[in-house]
Order: sequence, then structure tokens, then C-alpha cells
Amino acid sequence: MEEKRISESLRENEAYIRDRLKNCADVLIRPMKLGAEEKINCLMIYIEVAVSNMMLDDSAIGKMINHFWEISPEQIPEFIQNNSLGIADGKRLETMQEVVAALFAGNAVFFVDGYDRALKISSKGYPGMGVSEAETEKVLRGSKEGFSDSVKINSALVRKRLRDTRFKVVEHQIGTRSHTMLQLLYMEDLVQEELLERVQERLDAYEVDGILDSGMLEQLTEDSWISPFPQYQTTERPDRAAQELLNGKIVLLCDNSPSALILPSSFNGFMESSEDWYHRFEMASFLRGLRYLALFSATLLPGLYLAMIRFHTQILPTNLILSFAEAREGVPFSSVTELLFLELSFELIREAGVRIPGSLGNAIGIVGGLIIGQAAVSANLVSPIVVMIVALTALGSMAIPNEEFAAAFRLLKYLFLFLGGYLGIFGMVLGGYLTVAHLSGLLSFGMPYLLPFIRTEGRNAAGERILRVPFRKRKDRPLYAKKEESLRLKRRENP
Amino acid sequence: MNFAENNRISHRQLYRQMILAFTAPFLLCLFGEERLLGKAGILGLAVGLILLLVYVIFLIRLGNSCTDLNKSAGPFWGRMIGLLFVVYVIFTGAYLLAVLEEIVPESLLTGVPGLWISFFAVLCCSLGTHKGMQRRGRMGEVSGGILLLGIFAMMALCLGQSRISYLQEMLQAPFSKEEIFGSSYFLLCAFSGLGMLPFILENVTQRATVGKTVAGGILTLCGMILGMLFLLPAVFGWERLKAESYPVLPLLAGADLPGNVLARFDVLWMAFLLYSLLFAIGSLLHYGHQVIRQAHFGTGRFWMPVAMFLLSAIKVNGAGIKTYYGSYLAYVHVPLLLGAQVFLLLGKKGKGKKKALAAAAVCFLPLCLLGCAGVEPEKRMYPLALGVDWKNEQFLVSYGMPDLPAATGQEKEEEGQTSALLTLEGKDFAQIEQAYRRSQEKYLDMGHLEVLILGEELSERAQIGELLSYLKKEVFVGENLYVFQAGSPGEVMSWQGGNGTSVGEYLTGIMENRMSGQHRKGVTLRELYHGWYEKQQLMKLPKIQVQGERLEILE
Repeated sequence: MEEKRISESLRENEAYIRDRLKNCADVLIRPMKLGAEEKINCLMIYIEVAVSNMMLDDSAIGKMINHFWEISPEQIPEFIQNNSLGIADGKRLETMQEVVAALFAGNAVFFVDGYDRALKISSKGYPGMGVSEAETEKVLRGSKEGFSDSVKINSALVRKRLRDTRFKVVEHQIGTRSHTMLQLLYMEDLVQEELLERVQERLDAYEVDGILDSGMLEQLTEDSWISPFPQYQTTERPDRAAQELLNGKIVLLCDNSPSALILPSSFNGFMESSEDWYHRFEMASFLRGLRYLALFSATLLPGLYLAMIRFHTQILPTNLILSFAEAREGVPFSSVTELLFLELSFELIREAGVRIPGSLGNAIGIVGGLIIGQAAVSANLVSPIVVMIVALTALGSMAIPNEEFAAAFRLLKYLFLFLGGYLGIFGMVLGGYLTVAHLSGLLSFGMPYLLPFIRTEGRNAAGERILRVPFRKRKDRPLYAKKEESLRLKRRENP
Repeated sequence: MNFAENNRISHRQLYRQMILAFTAPFLLCLFGEERLLGKAGILGLAVGLILLLVYVIFLIRLGNSCTDLNKSAGPFWGRMIGLLFVVYVIFTGAYLLAVLEEIVPESLLTGVPGLWISFFAVLCCSLGTHKGMQRRGRMGEVSGGILLLGIFAMMALCLGQSRISYLQEMLQAPFSKEEIFGSSYFLLCAFSGLGMLPFILENVTQRATVGKTVAGGILTLCGMILGMLFLLPAVFGWERLKAESYPVLPLLAGADLPGNVLARFDVLWMAFLLYSLLFAIGSLLHYGHQVIRQAHFGTGRFWMPVAMFLLSAIKVNGAGIKTYYGSYLAYVHVPLLLGAQVFLLLGKKGKGKKKALAAAAVCFLPLCLLGCAGVEPEKRMYPLALGVDWKNEQFLVSYGMPDLPAATGQEKEEEGQTSALLTLEGKDFAQIEQAYRRSQEKYLDMGHLEVLILGEELSERAQIGELLSYLKKEVFVGENLYVFQAGSPGEVMSWQGGNGTSVGEYLTGIMENRMSGQHRKGVTLRELYHGWYEKQQLMKLPKIQVQGERLEILE
């Protein structure tokens, strides 16, 4: 769009604004006459709900009126130039494009006749949820604060934890129609410049009409779009974001989204919970190991069960296989169909539980689990052992801290289910081979996804593997950070 | 970035790739050949190892010559050398597919055609083979360590089954100098895949010291082979080992896992071997693609896996790639390879992805629709005891089945104890199997057999050999089951214990449910095999007889 400078004539400015904002009923354009004898023509534009009336009446306008009474109309431009209306959060705008952008960012814009600038009066912006508890990443220990829908609040929450000038927040706009604000957060001295450049390149690589959530941004900028595995880590917790910034990673905040994107991401990162570093190392290591076991169970258990009962019964103790056989007596479906039926039923229950509001959603889970499961067993539609397998699989997938990562394995589970059901252990090995091959080829912003299981020369990625090192031994940053800034912890010589 | 996208692999990745790619082919294929067994094999291994280490130095010096074959050997000879490697890749891949096609249906998946197995294998392995060195390196790094650990753990678990007396049989066997040289050359042929190392070297970091890593890989693999050369005869005995085509497959058939979590875990052993075999085929496709590129043949992404699969499937008069591969390697490839490498040293101056996925989906679909092979657990019959006798010039076979509700603790009080006994007779086991198939609705699952009871009549006849061959063929029969002798196996098999206990459970209980020091000395099927292969005689078996309501084992 061609840049249009703000004119000295308020009438011209108003005409332009009214033309651009035709049929925008949510935008209020309030002409005013201020100053002694009401000789000074002014114009205030703002979005009705985004700008608090209280703020305008009691603060900005109130101050203006007070000042304008005291000075002559000729002195007004100079007064605004020097004092920005006497409000702390004002900014001068020079073009109409800046005016429109400021307006739609949720600010009020003030014009004065005879002055070729406009003044942005910052507001709290659009209504939002405010800071609330992170719903998807609950912890027992650590801050309960979660990100909100406002990008400004989110960056402030991180800044609250990293009060350092080396912590940088760079703003971008994306979406030719949505003009969504993005913020790129990083520690200036820790982040690798090449990574930063690459992120900027990716953000500029596409022109899209609108980005409404960080999820859309993620899919647009990831390395491999075909992979079911998320290549960005998401978090709703500011403390987790701050922790990753200290590891030399970049955090991407998107307006209207409570999920921050962390990049580059790695397989092991998805298995970490933010409280891992708040617990003692023994417990944290145990829990991480347990999560890997959960991952194994969520992905392979149905396939292994089918492989064992359909092909390799000799692997199970005799009494166990006899129990399985007895339990399946009378079930009309093949074990693959039976398991698939119950797995899909569980997915249905899960989906229904998410969509149904509040406590009713939880009730659906119980109804699904207990009543439908029990009824299916009683009706001989499924055998009890299959209910147990599905329950263990579901528990496993819920124990994975990152929902998107867990979802990838939930999908993989079906591949393994078919492979195990129709090709036994051979099928499971084929599936394992394909999964390892796929994960080995996956990159997240140039970093191998399988880090830190892939060891790189000469760098200590302490604490990043399955076992968490004691906090005092966590001396080095992982290899995402600059090599020269790899030291994280040292003992003071003269404390 | 300080790593990731330079298409180079680290030494660790190279080492682990070597381990992954060579382990299963070596374990599966080397010990079925008598050439690398016994003392001659051990000495041949030592000589071969020295030669291999020298060969590695030679290969590293050759490195630059293989970057562009046309430049280093001229357009004609460059292409000829490229062709030599491409043929090797296709032949070796086809050979490994043929091995897979043979062992999987036999030892793992009964009822799935071998051709399907090799088709799925080559399909999976060919996906993404053109995607650079780093992907392959990372695959190796992530899974190589786990595989090595798994293989050594399984070998350690096997140690409990080994016998010094069996090992002595091997040590007492004679050998000649020719056999040692034969073993050495056999080992060199097995390691001929190393000949592709110069094609990889340009993609390895710190190339100056890569020799140590490759030597480390060779030493690890040779260590594994050496371990097996001692372990296999110590577990099977010398004569049986020589008679086996894939001796590593039944290696864990008689091993127990501490804690009785799993009744048997030879399936896990197979899983490790299969993963390594798939990696080997994938590596051949990947490096074959690299060779094709460096010899300016275009791309082998699509036709190479197809050629491998077709070659593995083609059989003329029953003889396929497996029959000819040994001769090809020994008399054609290795001499030509060495010649070509000496020549080179002396002359030293996206859219596709979608299609592949669609094809894979189309290929998987019919398998699911066919619902092939798997048999549900309730549709199987699980004999826990097998009684075999010879009467009226026929085999008389009794299968002792457990009563399902009683065995699972779900019986009702009014139900009687109904352990089923099925008796079939036939001139040979093929006839008995046919009789079973004709008359029984359920699939016969011999994987849970606990005891074998031989009739006295049978024990004294030559037909016992036929029985042992039949059991050997039934790969799901564990080799740790107990073998007894009885005057009338039929009478013993029809014995009903209290609480519905079957003969199999009862006899196993007598053998195993004792405090340390009170254990009875039983004879396992593995020991029976050993005695048979060694002396063609049946060893002395504990006798059992029914005394009133009790079943007793006589000393």
C-alpha cells in the first residue's frame, strides 16, 4: 500500500480516515473541540471495546483538556511535540499506515488540527482472558502462571523472569489481512546468529492472509510438513520459556495464542516437563524414565499384544496365553478388529470429553471408561484383556508431557497395531525401522531431532538425556547455545 | 549451524553403522557354513583379522580415487568399476532378502508367504535412501548401541545353557592348514562390504583418523564372531552345530529370562537380528545409490530395490541367489574388487515421496484385507504334553491339552475335570499332521509344549530319528522341554491329576518346584538332540509310570 503522510489539515486527515474505515462500526471517530473557547479541533479514533473509556476520560483526555486550557492554539503543536500530551505511553505517528496499525493494535490515536503528526495513546488493547493457570502443563511445584492470549502480556511474563538487557524481544507482523503480531524472544549473547537469521528467513518466506494461532505459524515454517512429529515445542508456561531461552533457544510468541513456540526442538525436549528442574534429580530422572516407558506403551503395546497372541504365543507364559484364550472365547471379532474398535472408541471418548464443557467432559471419560468398557465386555464385543491394553495405552499417551508429541505417537500406534496384527514381530521391527529412519532424517531448524541421543563432538549436553544430572553438576548449556557461552554454572572462588 | 547440514557423519556414526549393517548377516550366514567353525575357524579368524586390518589401511589410501570414478579411472573403466559395485550391491541385497524370505516364515511367522516378507522389507528399506549421509549416520548412532548391547546381553543369557563337555567335542575335532586358509578367505569375503568404504570417506569428519574407527568396528565384529565360535558349540555340541543351517536361530530356544516374565524370548533375539538385517539392506541401497552417483549412472532410487527383489525371487530349478551367492563372492567379486582397487590406487592421478507413500499404502492394503496368517489365541490348541509311541508299524501320537477354565482358574464347581487327550496315528508325521487337520477345528500350537513322553518301543527303533527331525522342524517347540520314557505313553497321557492338573504341568512341577539341591536331573530336548547328532543314539531318559492315582518319575 502506498504510504500516506499525515496532513496538517485535520479535515483532510478525518476524510481519509473515514474513507478507510467506512462500514467499520466498531471503530469510534470522535471529533472534539478543546482548549480555551473550544477553538482547537481534535480527533480521537479508537476501537470501542479495545480502549477503555475510563482510561481515555480519566487519563489521556483529562490531561489534554487540562493542558489545552492553559495554552494558546498556536502553541499546541509545539506542546505535543515536546510533551506527548504529558502521558507516559504516547508515541508520535507520521503516516496513515502507522495510524491504522496502531488503531487495530488496540490503541487510541489522537489528531490535532495544524499538526502533521498523530499521537498513539497506548491502551491495554483488546479484551482477553488475562493471566491464568496453564491448563495443559500442570505442575506440582513451580509457578502456576500460564501464558494468555495477549502477546504483550506473554512477553512481560517472560521478562518478569529474565530481567536482563541481553534478553531481546523483536516484533514482527505476519498476515496481510490479520496483521498478527509476533514476538521473537532470545538471549542476545546465547543464541546462535545463524539460527536467528534462519528463523527470520522462515517468517518472511510466506505471504499469508491470516495467522490466527501459533499452530498455523508452526505448520507454515517447519522443516518437514509431512511428518506427524511436531518440530516446534510448545509451552503455555513462562518459566519453561525462560528456561529454554537460557538454553540458547528462541521463543516465538504469537498474538491471540497462549502457546509459545520454542525452537529448535528435540525428541527429548518433548519428554521433559518444566518441573523436572525443580524436583530432586533422582525423582526427576525416575519420572523421565517412566515417561519413556509410557511412550513405549502408548505406541507399541497394542501392536505387541496382537503380535504375541496371533503369532508368537510361545513368548508368553502358558497360563497367561491360556487366560487370553479363555477371555476371548465368544468374542465374534478378530483380535485386530476388537482392539481397533476399542481404540477408536477411546479416541471418540477423548474427543467428546474435550468438546463437552466443564465437569461434564470429565464425566464422559468416566462413563466411557467404566460403563462402555464394562458393557462391551459383558456383551462379548471385546475381551477384558483388550480393555486393559487400551487403558494402559491411553495412560501412556497421557503421561507424555507434550500433547502434540503424544498425538504423533497416538497415530503411530495404529501403524504398529496393523503391522503387529498382520506381520507379527517382523511387522513391529519394520515399523521400528521406519520410525527410526524417519526421526533420523528429521531436523528442527537445522538441528537433528534426535539430539541429544546423537552426540556431537566436544559439547556436553548435560542434563538433556533421559537421566537428569544433579543441579550442581549442570555446568554447561546444551549445544543450542553459542559455544563461547556454554558455561552455565560455576562455583565462586571467594563467596 | 555448527553441525547438522554438512552431510558428514562422525566416527561414532560410522562405527555404529558398521556394527548394525554387519551383525545380522554375519550371525545368520557365517555359522551355517562349516568353513568358519571349530578350531580352523578360530585360527582363520585370527589370520583374516590381520589381513583385514591391512586392507583397511589400503582402503583409506584409496579414498580420493572413489570420489569421482570417471576422473580417477577414465570414463570406461570408471563405469566398469562402478558396475562391479552396483552388481555387488544388488546381489548382496538379493541374498539378504532371500535369507529373510527363508528365516522369517520358518522361525517367526508361519503362514505368511516369504515373497511378501521380502517385498515389505525392500519397500521399507528403500524409503529415503537418497536422503544424504547424515540420516543414515543418525540411524546408526541411535540404534547401533542398543543393538550391540542387546546382542551381547542375549549371548550372556545363553552362557547358562553351555556345557564344557560340548565345547571339548569341538576342541577335539581335527583340522588342517587348508581349512585355516579357507576360513580366512571366507572371512575376507564376508567383509567384502568394506570395499565400499572409499565411497563413504569423503563424508566422514576427521578423515585422517578414520582408520582407527574402522579397525575398531572390525575388532568388535570379529570379537562377536569369536564369541559365537565358542558359544555355539558349547550350547549345541559339535555335530549338531555342523548340521544346522542357521544355528543362531535356535540359540535362545532353551534360554530362560530371570523372573519368568516371558516363557521364551527367542522372538526378541529374532527382532534384533531382523532390525540389523533391514539396516544392512537399507545400507546397501543407500551406498549403492552413492556409488551409482559417483560412477555417473544416474540414480538407482527406484530400479535398484526392484532389481534386488526380483533377483531374490527368481529361482531356476529351485536354485536361487542363495545357491550362487557364495561362489559369486568368492570367485568373482572379491578377486575383481581387489583388482579394481589396486588399479585405482596405481592409476591415482518431493512428488516422488507422495508416489512412494501411495504405493506403500496400496501394497499394505491387500495384506490387511487378506487378514493373513494370524490365528486368534482361542482358536489354537495348546498341547502341554506330547506322547509318542510306535505301535503296529505306525506312530501313535497323543496330545495332552489343558482344560482351559481349570487352567485359568475360571472353572465352575459342577464342571468335571476335562483335560483333553487327542490321539492320532500315522505312518509318518506328515500323515499325522494331515489327520489333525482333517479332524480338528483348532490350530495346533506347539509353542507351549512342556514335556515329551517317548514310548519304550519307539526308543529302541530307528523311527526316533524321524520324530527328532519333525520336532526340529517345528521351530516353535522350545528346546528346554523335558523328555521322559514310559512303557505306555497313552496310559500316562490319559492320567488325570487333582485340580485338573495336566501331565505337562505335573511333570514340570516335579522337576522344577524343588529347593536348590533337591532338583531332579532331567533330560531336555536340547540334550536329546545333542546325543542324537553326536552318536545317533538316544540317551538314557528318566522313566515315568502311573502308580495308582499318582504319576511317578523313576530314577
